[in-house]
Amino acid sequence: MSRPALWRLAPWTRAPLLGLRQPAAVLAVLVTTAVLACALASAPLFLSSARSAALQQQLAAGCAEAGWGQTGVVVRLLDQNGDPTGVEPVGAGTDRALADGWADVGADAAVAVAITAPGPVTTSGGGRTSLPARVLFRTGALDHVRWEQGPATGTAGVAVPASWAEPAGLAPGDTLGLGGATVPVVGVYTDLFAYDPGPTWCDYRPLFANDASADTPPPALLLASDAAVVDAVSPGTAATELLRQVPVDAADTSVSDATALLRDQARAQAAALSATGAPADLAVPGTRLAEAVARAELVESGLRGPVVPVAVAGALLALVLVAAAGSSWADRRATEVRLLAARGVGPVPLAGKAALELGLPALAGAALGWGAARLLVAALGPADDLDPAATTTALGAGAAAFVAGLAAAAAVAGLRARGTAERAPGSAPHRPARVPWEVGLLLAAGWCWALLQGRDAVVSERGVAQVDGLLVAFPLLGVAGAAVLTARLLTALLPRLRRWAARRRPTVFLAVNRLAAARAATATLLVAVTLPVAVLGYTATLTAGSRATLEAKVGVQIGAGAAVLSVSRFDPTPAVTAAGAYVVRYGSASVTDPEGGRTDVQVLAVDPDDLAGTAAWVDSFADEPLPDLLARLEGPDVDGRLPVVAAGLPAGPADLRLGSLPVPAQVVGTADVLPGRRTAAPVVLVDADRLPEVDRTAGADRTAELWTDGETAAAQEALTAAGSQRNRTIVPADVQTTADFLGITWTFGYLSALAVFVGVIALGGLLLYLQARSRVRVSGYVMARRLGLTRRTHLASLVVELGGVAVAGTVVGGVLAAGAVALVYRRLDVDLLRPPTPLLDVPWTALAATVVLTPAAAVLAALYAQRAADRADPATVLREDAWL
Amino acid sequence: MSGFAARGLTKRFHRGVETVTALAGVDLTVAAGELVALVGPSGSGKSTLLALLCGWETPDEGSLTLGGPLTGRRPADLGWPELALVPQALGLVADLSIADNVLLPARLRGQDETARAGLLLADFGLSHLAGRYPQQSSLGEQQRAAVARALLLRPAVLLADEPTAHQDRGHADQLLDAVEAATREGSAVLLATHDETAWARADRVLTLRDGRLTGGLPS
Ligand SMILES: Nc1ncnc2c1ncn2[C@@H]1O[C@H](COP(=O)(O)OP(=O)(O)OP(=O)(O)O)[C@@H](O)[C@H]1O
Ligand SMILES: [Mg+2]
Repeated sequence: MSRPALWRLAPWTRAPLLGLRQPAAVLAVLVTTAVLACALASAPLFLSSARSAALQQQLAAGCAEAGWGQTGVVVRLLDQNGDPTGVEPVGAGTDRALADGWADVGADAAVAVAITAPGPVTTSGGGRTSLPARVLFRTGALDHVRWEQGPATGTAGVAVPASWAEPAGLAPGDTLGLGGATVPVVGVYTDLFAYDPGPTWCDYRPLFANDASADTPPPALLLASDAAVVDAVSPGTAATELLRQVPVDAADTSVSDATALLRDQARAQAAALSATGAPADLAVPGTRLAEAVARAELVESGLRGPVVPVAVAGALLALVLVAAAGSSWADRRATEVRLLAARGVGPVPLAGKAALELGLPALAGAALGWGAARLLVAALGPADDLDPAATTTALGAGAAAFVAGLAAAAAVAGLRARGTAERAPGSAPHRPARVPWEVGLLLAAGWCWALLQGRDAVVSERGVAQVDGLLVAFPLLGVAGAAVLTARLLTALLPRLRRWAARRRPTVFLAVNRLAAARAATATLLVAVTLPVAVLGYTATLTAGSRATLEAKVGVQIGAGAAVLSVSRFDPTPAVTAAGAYVVRYGSASVTDPEGGRTDVQVLAVDPDDLAGTAAWVDSFADEPLPDLLARLEGPDVDGRLPVVAAGLPAGPADLRLGSLPVPAQVVGTADVLPGRRTAAPVVLVDADRLPEVDRTAGADRTAELWTDGETAAAQEALTAAGSQRNRTIVPADVQTTADFLGITWTFGYLSALAVFVGVIALGGLLLYLQARSRVRVSGYVMARRLGLTRRTHLASLVVELGGVAVAGTVVGGVLAAGAVALVYRRLDVDLLRPPTPLLDVPWTALAATVVLTPAAAVLAALYAQRAADRADPATVLREDAWL
Repeated sequence: MSGFAARGLTKRFHRGVETVTALAGVDLTVAAGELVALVGPSGSGKSTLLALLCGWETPDEGSLTLGGPLTGRRPADLGWPELALVPQALGLVADLSIADNVLLPARLRGQDETARAGLLLADFGLSHLAGRYPQQSSLGEQQRAAVARALLLRPAVLLADEPTAHQDRGHADQLLDAVEAATREGSAVLLATHDETAWARADRVLTLRDGRLTGGLPS
């Protein structure tokens, strides 16, 4: 008799919908596949988000034009020797060629810019101005100036700056001779350097302000009201630059947007060149965007090392969870599956049946996980502008999660179905579980560690700090391996604990016996608590530590939260000393050692009573607190030598020289690091009141500084009032190019997210654990109630059971985190050039929250399990129990 | 010691539109020190009757009264020394060893009955597997453990649902000896059973058929 194919029988044909009748198993598969898909999909999305953020932050730091598309040509009529080059002068055609180039690629190059520098300018009166001038046309520019006179409408001409118009006596209606053309003056505008003219002018600052030297102003900026004005002036000038720009909002641009724009820019530029016949070396395409993109990609590639292995590890963890869900399906459908197995149906068709039944939930889970990854990265990631390519990759990752998850769940379900549905409690774990595979993880961690010894854990490539993937992989592998090993060892103690509990009250007795009866489940639960606690503790500490280190490095460099510097000579008024710590720096100073060797030093003359309150200080800088060190400055002279405190010099006599002025000094206190260290030279602190007068002639390169907690306005005001001119401020942003350290911050941010994610997995594991053991639990409870077990005692025993695991997991996790931090933090120097070396900063609040939340979750789970047990009907539960 | 009496016990189960009358007006009295056997074909309502008597199910009609010191108490509120039972499904706690299962009623009361538990385990031939989990023991062994647990605190009322179902003759007789001993000490015992030896040793035999008590032994 021929049997019909298995897959045409009802248990298989009806499988896809049958699955839906097992809400618990369906939910388990759905949630675990979602976790898996989320883990896999989050990596490309996160990398894309980080890349966009790195790009956006760079662009935000500069002028808006940095992120715009730009094409342009320089039309050079005369070469370096002043001889004609034979190139056609600029005409309306050049600009049109640039605009058309953009139009061809579908972009609207709304902003036209033309800059030319005509030779000597003649005024209407026929007089020649002595100052050179530039003519600038920019679309809409004249809407963003303050008018002092004019503007005259209806005529094309130039607006002239007030500082130039006044001496020359120019007014609207006058004319100027510019490069052979006669151009009317249409208005007089307030000089742009006189106030903050706003973002329109950001990119043109070099045309109106000389930040390098206030003594030589740039040529006067004549603003053309019309592009035709430049066209008219151009034939008489050596060179004219013409640009067309495509305004883009950089705040939400992604790298793919930027790359597309750059591609368009290249095409538009090529088209414009061929239309004008200009040689390629005279093209002026925008370059800043390309640089920013390259840097953003550098940041991304630095992140890829740590992120990808972490995502894969997370996915593997999630895969175990999916497999557990598949196993729970086998439990739930034990009767039917056992019946089929008894009839000789092999594991493969059973796995097929499981796959059919779990297919819909797995698909839904994968979609959900992908969506969750997108939402999470958009909401919590560095930027919410994701590259379309990343979204596609993430979609592929979601599909892979679906396939892998379903395969794992089905395979486990098929294998499980062959054996008994639930193993006898207390029995030793299956052979695969007895293999101490975690030792492999520990060995891998050790290997990574050994590799790390030979290289820098943090490298700086083109100024972008990048964490070595090994530095991330090593502690994760180690923590995972150690967590499993510890759980294995601890659960091996359970039989002994059980003997101890035999003499305890029912609460403890029941809790310990439940844990001992399911050793594998207990070990899993313990790992599930240990891992997230350890990873979170580790990442949170390193994040806080590297942030604190970075702040300390910046603080050491500035001296305090911020500083205002002045090279003017003035006497500090009470207002000045009230606004911050007053410090005089001698940049040109040295120490001569007895052998005659000279060491450059930086000397800071300070007020010992005032400095400690403001200066940047971390206890690890020296063996004693800063106030104690400063107090030594006020001590008596040592053999007629001035007491000083130094970082980088040994204690003892030091022949100090401030410029040419010798100051015999004695180093009476040393520190590893002292605040105000601007160069690599040793820092020497002296009491300002005891320092002899240092003359201007000594050439000591004296700077007066006012160190503040971060506020600079009051300090500036006080300094100005005291007679200081041209103050310069130093704030943290000047010292630290944030984009350089983004990679590090994000790496640990991602790891923290991973820890939270593992925490979610742990919670899922806890629920699965309760679910898997719920039947045994409920029937035991129902009967025990009859035997005299009170509700309270049972709940208390649940709390002891789950809370015990939670507390043990938290303690083990904390210890592992501390070990990992101790091994790693010293290697995590984000900036090797600047002291101090990495600091340890323990985020106590986050850790306290973890310590409180973990047992709280256990108590909630206990309440949940108690409620489920309370709702059971004894007669029904016991009848079902018999039936199994 | 106390016995119990039931009057007009009726229990119906609803399965969709269908109503199953598992018990239809059962009158029954079991006196202290009396061993009553309850016989009846499968599905006749024996387990349902025991579930009503121990308070796990509530009767749709009829009443249940307890005598002696238990007068006025409800079965659901009775502790193990007053009312012990051996459910058909046994209800051993899976996370506890056989010995711990037997001792559990005493432990939950803070009593030390280790000696008696040892005797019962020895009587039932369970001493060698005291440390094993129920799932690691045979069904018959589990059943004997469940009976030992029921007898541990010398209950006033003992309800046992086919306690010898999985036993060989020898072990069945050991169990019946122990139950008889309990009866002599004053327990009121109701034993649902298909075991003909048990009928012979009972003081009375009640036959349940389609939820009604009929006289005489089943054919
Ligand atoms: N919860 C329930 N829902 C519906 N019907 C039930 C339920 N419990 C019992 N029954 C029905 O009530 C009747 C009596 O069941 P009961 O379990 O008391 O029989 P029993 O005499 O103990 O049988 P056995 O000797 O096989 O154990 C049966 O027909 C059974 O199908
Ligand atoms: Mg029955």
